[in-house]
Parts: sequence; structure tokens; C-alpha cells
Amino acid sequence: MVNSNADALGIIFPNSYDFVVPELASDRSMASIPFASRYRMVDFVLSNMVNCGMDNISLIVRKNYHSLMDHLGYGREWDLARKNRGLNIVPPFAKKSVKVYNGRVEALASILEFLKSQKEKYVILSDANIAMNFDFAALIEAHIKTGADVTLAYTREEVPENLRAEHENNENFYYTMVIEDGRVKQIKTNPSDTGIQNYYMNICIMGREELIDIVGRAYVHGIAYLERDIFSPYLDKLNVQGYLHEGYAARIVDMKSYFRENMKLLEEENLDALFSKAPIYTKIRDDNPTRYVSGAKARKIMAADGCLIEGDVENSILFRGVKIGKGAKVKNCVLMQDTIVEAGADIEYVITDKNVAITANKEMAGNDAFPVYVMKGETV
Amino acid sequence: MGKEMIAMLLAGGQGSRLYALTQKLAKPAVPFGGKYRIIDFPLSNCVNSGIDTVGILTQYQPFVLNEYIGMGQPWDLDRLHGGVHVLPPYQQASGSDWYKGTANAIYQNISFIERYDPQYVIILSGDQICKQDYSDFLRFHKEKNAEFSVAVMEVPWEEAPRFGLMVTDEDDRITEFQEKPKEPKSNLASMGIYIFNWDILKRYLIEDEADPNSENDFGNNIIPNLLRDERRMYAYRFEGYWKDVGTIPSLWEANMEVLDPEHSGIDLFDEEWKIYSRNSGMAGHRIGAEAVVENSMITDGCRVDGHVKHSILFSGVRVGKGAEIEDAVIMGGTTIKEGAVVKHCIVAGDVVIGEKAVVGAMPDGDKKGVATVGFGVYIGDGATVGPNAMVDNNVKDGEEVW
Repeated sequence: MVNSNADALGIIFPNSYDFVVPELASDRSMASIPFASRYRMVDFVLSNMVNCGMDNISLIVRKNYHSLMDHLGYGREWDLARKNRGLNIVPPFAKKSVKVYNGRVEALASILEFLKSQKEKYVILSDANIAMNFDFAALIEAHIKTGADVTLAYTREEVPENLRAEHENNENFYYTMVIEDGRVKQIKTNPSDTGIQNYYMNICIMGREELIDIVGRAYVHGIAYLERDIFSPYLDKLNVQGYLHEGYAARIVDMKSYFRENMKLLEEENLDALFSKAPIYTKIRDDNPTRYVSGAKARKIMAADGCLIEGDVENSILFRGVKIGKGAKVKNCVLMQDTIVEAGADIEYVITDKNVAITANKEMAGNDAFPVYVMKGETV
Repeated sequence: MGKEMIAMLLAGGQGSRLYALTQKLAKPAVPFGGKYRIIDFPLSNCVNSGIDTVGILTQYQPFVLNEYIGMGQPWDLDRLHGGVHVLPPYQQASGSDWYKGTANAIYQNISFIERYDPQYVIILSGDQICKQDYSDFLRFHKEKNAEFSVAVMEVPWEEAPRFGLMVTDEDDRITEFQEKPKEPKSNLASMGIYIFNWDILKRYLIEDEADPNSENDFGNNIIPNLLRDERRMYAYRFEGYWKDVGTIPSLWEANMEVLDPEHSGIDLFDEEWKIYSRNSGMAGHRIGAEAVVENSMITDGCRVDGHVKHSILFSGVRVGKGAEIEDAVIMGGTTIKEGAVVKHCIVAGDVVIGEKAVVGAMPDGDKKGVATVGFGVYIGDGATVGPNAMVDNNVKDGEEVW
């Protein structure tokens, strides 16, 4: 076969970290949270994989996946509408005694037969909570070059405070790693260490047959978590390597980071870092271009198509179809699809979900640390 | 099962009057309105009217157009039975021929039309900006029990001599056709959009092809022949926005009218009649902290740091700090560097306009030309392109072109 495709299949877990943004994920998954004016979080990891020649990508969904299904359709926009391979959305298959999956082992156990029938040599696992332009081809190459059993991708950054604060309660797993000469010596689950860490991106690559073997054995022993229960205890037996991602990465870990990571894109160097390396694909809406009428004022904003701007907007992110009425003032806001800000309204530090209406002359203000969030479909 | 009506879209026009814009692409592929191409309008009209089979007749610079149409998915025209098909002239056992005229183009594709066994065929033009419900036109055609109908617009009497005119009786039946007459008897101008009963069209195409003196043209040959035979011919009065964008000034004007939908009647913001196009796939546009944007349309991928007034920017246009853009149409991928002044003009795609260069000028008395810069042209720093210039070669730093 012509070697134009990557020899790795992708598996994405769209629901992981849903609970860190309960407002945004109340009726959608982390993967379908809107980001950067016209995208959903899943667009980044999907496009990154496709751009690296991966054409066999599965999403193992857990719950609340209507919006994700609607967004992805049959994968045409990502060039994943294929006869062979392509996009594969795996819904929960709940038998009497089986609940929806918790960890990656349980999720993968539900598709073992599928994995066995595939041809790719490697499997790449990823969540969908990081917007980035990740080079999966380089990850595959590094994995092959080092001869590792498993390669884990990480960034060098501090674990956000709110994750650390909640580290004891529940399955809110995050991992940092101690790495020596490229080899992972220790995996820490929910560590409270401050300062710059080797912060795992929840992206890993390993052999497909090896993964099938591990998952098959672990599942019958009731083991749910791949990193915590399999990689971490067996670091002396497994050759686990670290792969440092030095490029731009916008990781969503709470409402605050959601707001901040959107706002960061107003700086041109960040916008370039996220988008200029390779294209990010998304669902097409066929909106008209955005229209600025006479009297509108716009300074330092990012806006998608389909907006109508008659008022004054500054330092904000506008998603598709946002309307800002005459005399309205919008500052430091993230306004999702089809938000309407009526004439004379004045809002600052506000995040509006889809289809929100801010009525005429209404005033609302949050602050940098606590932006006000308005739920999907609400009229204020 | 046969189709009730299929569309044949004449897209072969060279568009020689758009010169610098049509050196490398056919007129229907010329960008329009911020994110569209001209052909998006008839294609979207078709799909919005319920027509699912469209043949596009093309022969001049077809590459960009072919690539743009692809399988027709952006217009929902990728269908199992029907869909959109690009139909260039082809080699036949009996020899091959370029499309000699509009009627000949359809004649050469009779076998394509027969595959769908349609009752009616609508002939469309690929060089007009128009939002039209063809199903209402068909309703009229059927109500009149017509064999041929033509869509017409009422034009001011003083402009009537520029058009092909339909003279009708009180029932809208056509009694006479005048091609650009000195003394018009009617002010109903043909829009070049026709509905034929397929059996009638086929008969007249075959007859026309057999006539060695024919120009094989709908206006000059087919319509006069139908009149000669006293066929049931009707004029359908269209009241809406319609514009032939075959010249630089009319193309520029139509773009400007998009900025004023309340008065011009061309509303691209209508959810009920969307115009579809192939997407650029770029990220949202960015307006910088020092930018000023007034009464303009801006789309994905643009980065604006200068002053943009009453203009249309297509995808990926960059406007540097201190640059001034006014009354301009700037097509996709063009970069306008710091301090450049770009006014009252059409700048095609992938152009670079250097620092402090001047392109075009606002109208001054009877000097009201629309400067035009062709695709991929480089305009050097400090260069000047005059208001009547049409540039399709690079302009050096500091050079002046008038």
C-alpha cells in the first residue's frame, strides 16, 4: 500500500473532563464545547490527526453526545467520510450489568473486537480538552525511534490551581511525570506539586496488539484506568517514554481557563501559533460574511462569519451569528453562536452560551477572575 | 423516474470585459460578495427552488470552476440520481467541436438531458447576481400552458435599447422580440433565463443545428424561430434584485450594493434563501486594537489593523497598520501593507500591495474609474495605480501606472 497514511489509528475520549466545566458541559461533552469563534474543542484533535495522515479515528462517547453527533455528522468536513476506515462514533453499549465506562480501560474494552480487526500498527489515545496544532506524525516518529512500549505526550507547565485544590475528591485524574533521559520514571496521579511540571496531555501512543493484550487482561481484573493502574505501577517493566509538546496548547481545565484561553487568541502571536501551522476543520454553517454597519465600533476582537455588528465591541470573541444592536457595549466577553445583544445593553466579562438574548439596556458585569456565565437559550 | 425540471447553466463566457479578473478563470468563477463566487447564486437558487439536477456548460478556463464545483457538496448537489455535472465540449465519434453558441452548447448535451427524461428545462446564465425562486417561474409557465417562457425585468424606457426586449399582449404572451432596438416597443428586458418544454426545445435545437447559417444562439436564432412558428411563448415578470456583472463597474457596483441590503434589494443575510459556497476553512477574522471598521463586510481569515470603510474583504485579507481602504472590493488572500491607500477599486486575490502604495482614487467630477488589479499581482512600495488603470503585471516600487 502507498505509504501516504500514518500507520496509527486514533481513539478520542470526548467526555473526559466534562465535570471541570459543568456549566458548559451540562448538555454537551467536553469535545463539543465551542472554542475560538467558530470551532468545537474536538475539531483540534481531529484536524491534527487528519493533517498527519491518520484516517481511522474512533470517538468512544459516554453520555450527552447529541451535540457531538450533530457537529460531526459522518465526518465529511474532516475528510473522514470514507468507505474504509474514516470516522467511527462508538456509543455506549449498555447491557444489564454494564454501566457506562469510567476509565480508558473500560472504554477500550468495549471496542476490543473492533481493535482486533484493524490493520494499523499503532494506536493513539487522546482526550479533546486541548486546542492545539499537535504534530502526531512527529509523535509516531519519536515513538518508533526510541523503541518505546508506550510514549506519553506532555507539556512543561504548572498544573492549574483549581485542579490541584480538588485533587482528593474523585476521579478527577491528572498526571505529572518524572522523566530521566526521555524515559518516564514516575507517573504521579493528582499530585499537588506547584511549579512547572511535566504535565501529561493524556495523549499516548502504543502498539495496537500490545494495547489489545493489556486491555483484555486488565478489564477482567476490574482495572479501569490505563495510566494510573497499568503504566504507573509497571514503569520498570514497560519502556515508557515522554514526548515534549513545545507548541501552543490551550488546555481547558475550568471556566476560568476556558475564558482565558479564548481571550489569549486576541493576541496575534497566539492566533498564529494555534492556526498557522496546519488547518483546523469544522462544521460548515454557510453564514454570510460578518457585517459592520455605520456607527459600529470594533477594537481587538475575533469574530466568525454571520455576525451583525451595530454597537461597540472591544476585546471579545464572537462566534457565528452574533448580533450586537445599536448603542450596545460589549467588552471582554465571549459570546457563543447566535447570541443577541439588544440595543443599549452594556455587558462586560460575560460568557454567553448558544442562543442567549441580552435584552435592551440590560447591564451585566463580571470580572476577570469570575466572568458571568449565561446558560444556553436564556433571555436576560 | 423522470425529473420535472432540470437546469442547464451557461458558464462558458470568457468575460473579456472583466479582463484582468478573467485571465485565469471563467467569469462564473469570479469571486463576489465577500465569500461567494458568481456561480453560487444560480446554483443556490436551483437547490433552494427544488432543482436537484444541474448541467454546467463550460469551455473557457474551466480548471478553477471544475475544482470549485467538485462533487457539488457545498450546494447539496451531490446526488445519486442527478446532482451537478460540469459539461465541457467533448470528442464524439462524429468529431468534436467547441460550443459554437449558447444553443449549440445545449444541443451537444442533448444526451445528458435525455438521461433525466425531464418535462421542462430551465436555461440559466452564469454571469448574473440574482436571487430567484425558479419554482415560481415554473408555476407561471405551467399556468400559462406555455411551451417557452422567459424571465423579464421592467427597465426604464431610456435604457431599454441596451437590452433584448419582449413585446407582449395583455396576457403576457410574447408577440415580438426586439434585440437592442433603436425604437423600443417594450421595456420588458430578457434576463436570459428561459423555461422550455423539453420536447419543444429538443425539436428546435435539432432544427437550428441543421441550419448552416445559424449562429446557434438562443436570442438570435431559437427565440425568433419559436416566434415564426407562433409557439405559446410567455414573459414572466421578475421583481427582485438582478444584476449582470459582466463589466468592472457593474461588478464593483453590485459588490457595493451588498453593503446596503436595506436599499439595494440584494440581501445575503436572508436565512430563508441562503447562498451556499465552498468554505475557506480559515479561523475567525481579527480586528486589531487600532483598527477602524465602518460599514463593511469581513469574513474568515482576515486580519485588520488599518482603516476599512465601506468595503468588502474576502477570506484571508490582511490590512496593515495605517492602511486606508475605502469603497474597495479586496479578494481572498490579498495583503495590503502598512500605510497603503486603496480606494474605489477591485483588487483580485493573492495580490500584495506594498507599503504606502496608492491604488485607485475616490471619484472626482467625471473621473470615476474603478481601478482593477489582477490575480497574484505585486504592487511595489510607494507605487501608484491610477483610477482608470487595469493592472495584470507586477508594478515596481515607486512606479506609476495610469
